Amino acid sequence: MTSHDWFIEHRAAWVARALDAEEEGSYRDHLARCAECRDAVAELERDLGWLSMGVEPVAPRPGFRREALDRVVGARRRRHDWILPAALAASLLISLSLNWRQRGRIAALDAGNAATGTSVAALRDTLSVERDAAQVLHADFATSGVPCSITIIADDHTHRWSVVVHGLPPARPGEKYQFWFITDDGMRRGVTIDAVPGRVASFLTGMPPGNARVMGAALSVEPAENQGSEMKGSALAKIMM
Amino acid sequence: MAFAGDSPARPKLAAVNAAPAGLRERLLARDETALAELIDMTSPWLLGVTESILHDRSEAEEVVFDVFDIAWQKIGTVEPERGGLMPWLLRVARNRAIDRLRRRNRRLRTIDGARAVGVLGDEVVAPVELNEAGTPGWHVHTQVHAALVALPDEQRAAVRLAYFHGLTHSEIASELSIPMGTVKTRLRLAFDRLRPALASLKDWVQ
Repeated sequence: MTSHDWFIEHRAAWVARALDAEEEGSYRDHLARCAECRDAVAELERDLGWLSMGVEPVAPRPGFRREALDRVVGARRRRHDWILPAALAASLLISLSLNWRQRGRIAALDAGNAATGTSVAALRDTLSVERDAAQVLHADFATSGVPCSITIIADDHTHRWSVVVHGLPPARPGEKYQFWFITDDGMRRGVTIDAVPGRVASFLTGMPPGNARVMGAALSVEPAENQGSEMKGSALAKIMM
Repeated sequence: MAFAGDSPARPKLAAVNAAPAGLRERLLARDETALAELIDMTSPWLLGVTESILHDRSEAEEVVFDVFDIAWQKIGTVEPERGGLMPWLLRVARNRAIDRLRRRNRRLRTIDGARAVGVLGDEVVAPVELNEAGTPGWHVHTQVHAALVALPDEQRAAVRLAYFHGLTHSEIASELSIPMGTVKTRLRLAFDRLRPALASLKDWVQ
């Protein structure tokens, strides 16, 4: 049996975690029984509580806060967030609508079903990243007689958007699909969208550089050579926040 | 892991001059923006503590994630009169880092890692750089440093090995090639000196 004096003598060592494993176990057992040592240790812990701030701080890597938030509240949010089921339902409705219009065309229906599965998978992947999305924006449009839609999932925390475009046929030679930001200071060029038959086009994008406030987005068909900041082609869709 | 002033390339930290009022109450109210603020304010210090013990950034981050999870779940058990939220977070982070360190049983690697970055022994603590004054909690950091600098070299070395690197008495004795009784005495004397210097510090995470 270790004497009480030993526990008194080793209070600081307990707080510092400097006891060896066996001693630490013995001390833990003692604290469960000894209110005097328990109080003394608590007081010592409080007095030395700031000692850890003697280390040099380490700057968290980019994305650390998001990951920490996701670890802590992400699981709960996944259970309650309405966006995931709502967006998935919207995606299914859109795809069903597209399929309805093409009913009777078996081949097209098969392609539509495949696109639906792909779009659901794409949305699920996207939404798993963008659980904090504050807004889901959507617009239907058509190009070359093909019904299409664009869905933007906007995350107010990271200021990133997940953009999903359904049904977009490949651009004609000499043309390209261009995504634009509509800001209070004019249009800002976004990414160029590469449309592949039978596949949903999706991408993540940050906000354009500068201080302009983003008010919405647009999709246009542009001459392939247009690298400027002005829309010179035909607007296909416009979404305002 | 280096101490303030040891490294010429200090990481750039977010400049926040003061914690928002009622952070604990907002956390109790499950305010997720309060949690984000807590993460922003405290992560540099919690990562500093865990990385100094584990010498592994990935593991250090895992521990800090756990700490925030615990804080979110158990914020109601944090008693302000027992030192406040930040000392509690530091204590949880340090204890969990040490638990992890001892579980993985990589003591030699840790000592080697510490030696590799030059934190063992009796190196002198460099003065704090003034341009970090805007970092949340930096004023506490400077006062802790002042208290550590005031210690005799041999006591400071023992405190560093025990408190910042998670070594036990016997490991410190081995590392410094001194009797274990001497280690215990140095630590006890050091803590007796540090207590009055640190006890008056106030929680800046509120």
